[in-house]
Amino acid sequence: MTVNLATLSDRTGLAVLEHLERQVAIPVIEGIQAQGDLLVVPLRLVGAAVTVRDLARWQDVPATGLELLRGAAGGNPHSLVADPGTCTWTTDVRDTFRLALGVFHNSTPVYLLHPEHGATGFTPGAYVVRRQREFDHRLTLRGGGGHRLIAD
Amino acid sequence: MSVPRRLEAADIRDEWLGWALSTLPADQTAAEAAISELYERAGRPAPRFLWVGSPNAAMEFVPAGIPMREFVKTLSIASRLATLGSELREALDRRVGHPWALAWGQGEPDPLDAEVRDPLRDFVRDGVCTPLRLALPLAERLTWYGQHDAYWIAHYDAWRRIGGRTFRGLNGQLDLWATLARSCGWWWPMEELCVVSLRPVSVRTEEQRLHSEQGPAVAYADGWSVHAWRGTRVPWWVIADPTPDRIAQEPNIEVRRCAIERLGWEAYIEQAGLRLVATARDPGNPGFDLLLYDLPGTVWGRRARVLLATNGSVERDGRRRRYGLGVPGHLDDPVAAAAWTYGLSTDHYAQLARRT
Repeated sequence: MTVNLATLSDRTGLAVLEHLERQVAIPVIEGIQAQGDLLVVPLRLVGAAVTVRDLARWQDVPATGLELLRGAAGGNPHSLVADPGTCTWTTDVRDTFRLALGVFHNSTPVYLLHPEHGATGFTPGAYVVRRQREFDHRLTLRGGGGHRLIAD
Repeated sequence: MSVPRRLEAADIRDEWLGWALSTLPADQTAAEAAISELYERAGRPAPRFLWVGSPNAAMEFVPAGIPMREFVKTLSIASRLATLGSELREALDRRVGHPWALAWGQGEPDPLDAEVRDPLRDFVRDGVCTPLRLALPLAERLTWYGQHDAYWIAHYDAWRRIGGRTFRGLNGQLDLWATLARSCGWWWPMEELCVVSLRPVSVRTEEQRLHSEQGPAVAYADGWSVHAWRGTRVPWWVIADPTPDRIAQEPNIEVRRCAIERLGWEAYIEQAGLRLVATARDPGNPGFDLLLYDLPGTVWGRRARVLLATNGSVERDGRRRRYGLGVPGHLDDPVAAAAWTYGLSTDHYAQLARRT
């Protein structure tokens, strides 16, 4: 079955903006991808910085979508969408850069959906979801210099 | 917490949030009756009332200096009311079973508190009342907050309405505070005079904090107003007319940041004539460039640069939004700067397969 924005929108109940193309198949890609202020990166590429805790609690990602992060205006979430039983998610992770929201494992393609940015797909694997940061005068983190997290 | 109970809790929260953000004219009769009864409970006769258009207008009538003792052996009414209120809250806390303000590290809040107490504390007290307080010399004036006291009143109201707690003889005084939260703005009790402010005529918020991109975030009928950008109180020009010159002259770094956000990085870079350090193709966004600029030292107070990037998806009008991100000053390569924002190496960022 071809997955497009219309399919994902129906499954999750999340409306996507009208100007986005609803019928085109969403590419399912291996490797690093960005969606707005989020970055999804294969775990193996950042294994030195990001580790999943030993007793991490994993939850199934439902077909109706799991909200990972909401935008600054409050209304526009980045949602992870997978077929039932094919993708699990945990927030029990350590990231030396303190940017990781969590890690997901998927055995079939999983999609990241956002009402303004559209959607993108990931081949089976293990991925870290990270937030974007910005240099900031206010915070000084040990070893890292100051930064704050972006919410677009 | 069951779903119906959660919905009831949300209704109670929204009801009190509505009063906290209310711009209705004051219910002067109800407010005066409630304050008079509080005076009586504090052992003092009812005062005269002076209604003012805003908290700012009250400053003229409320002398600075916390009045501890009116005369040698008698506590001032302000002190008596403060004691009355704090004793009430302590007694209510015992009935609820835990204090309103839990110390840090005491574990997960009760679901009812997570639904009512915590969001109202964050929104009403921290997001609205505190920025307004900071606009006035209130450190030396004991102030009661009327509608903005709703955040703590709602907590006890929720526990008595759906939390299964009974407050018996405490209900009477709690109801007086609740009446004030529903009927007026801030107030200042003195021995024979009580100054009470009307509610604002407009309140604008976003994300549970004061924010307005057009005009003041809070405005009162007498013309006094407060401008705010994403929860930070700012001078009027930040909202109405932000310019690179004003930004350069502004001593407060937070205000400078807000003004640049208000102006937008792209406009700021152009109008301030920032020096372009380097450009590069954005590996993750084919057809678009990354531009790295030097920020004047006066902006962040230390060496920094700004990266101007282009969104991966188009806006409604078919254009792509550009956005600026602050990056450390030692980065010379725009791709390295973009990589830094995600905590990636330059090589890894260059492998970015898709941006949406």
